[in-house]
Amino acid sequence: MTRLSRRNLARYATDQLVAQNDVTQLARDIFSVLADDGRTGELELLMADIYYELEDHGQVANTRITSAVDLSDQLMAEVKALVKKTTGVDQVLLNPKIDKSVVGGLRIETATKVWDRTVANQLNDLKGAF
Amino acid sequence: MATITQLADASSSGSGIGAFNINLKSFIFQLVTFVIVVLVFKKWLLPPIVKTLEERRKTLEKSLTDAKATEEALARAETQADEILAKARGAADQAITEGRKSAEGIVASAEESAAKRAALIVKEAEAHLDQERRQLREELRAELAELVADATEKIIRQKLDAEADRKLIEQSLKDIG
Repeated sequence: MTRLSRRNLARYATDQLVAQNDVTQLARDIFSVLADDGRTGELELLMADIYYELEDHGQVANTRITSAVDLSDQLMAEVKALVKKTTGVDQVLLNPKIDKSVVGGLRIETATKVWDRTVANQLNDLKGAF
Repeated sequence: MATITQLADASSSGSGIGAFNINLKSFIFQLVTFVIVVLVFKKWLLPPIVKTLEERRKTLEKSLTDAKATEEALARAETQADEILAKARGAADQAITEGRKSAEGIVASAEESAAKRAALIVKEAEAHLDQERRQLREELRAELAELVADATEKIIRQKLDAEADRKLIEQSLKDIG
């Protein structure tokens, strides 16, 4: 049997999700394929590929927000609006994460885009400028 | 013969030839003997002697001629030897001069080559030093940047409170949007 590439699996999963087919069955099918090929370790990577395909198709943007402090609801709403505008997706999922090492500012990451406005990144840029 | 007898008688007397105290008979006898000896000498002895002398003269003459020719040949040989020696000396002098020139040329060439090599080594060393200097400068710059960034981070951590951070985030969102 021909081994399916991760990208093709992701595309298949995306098509199924967009068509709003049974998600549980989809999950079982994908896991079976990975288990048969002994590729269960690629599950996380496959998820990332699926998110990429979903965002590329304008469906969903899974967004990770990293900041040194908690963000208010207003700021979260502004981030959501920004991501929706720039990626053109219908839906934005926000995943906030607190990381003191960024010092200040925030980093917004989707499957297709990254905006890094953290103080730590700017300090790195300063080092690189020397 | 009568004359001889007459003469003999005259000598025995005290007058004429006898006055010289010469015994004529003896004298005549000796004279005849002398003549006979001369004739014998002339006929039988002189020719061989003359012949021998002539041969010896010829031999001597030949020897002299040969000696003269040998002397001339020797002189010519000496002249030739002198010429050959002079030529050999000239050739040796020339060879020495050429050898000296060649050696001087080799030395000069070696000196030039050594000077070029030394200049190249100096140039390479300078280039190497330049590179090391640049590298050191880069390393120092990087260290300085590291120190500045660390210091800045420390200061920002102290100064950046939640309110300031919020304003920073708002500004960032405006910049991205």
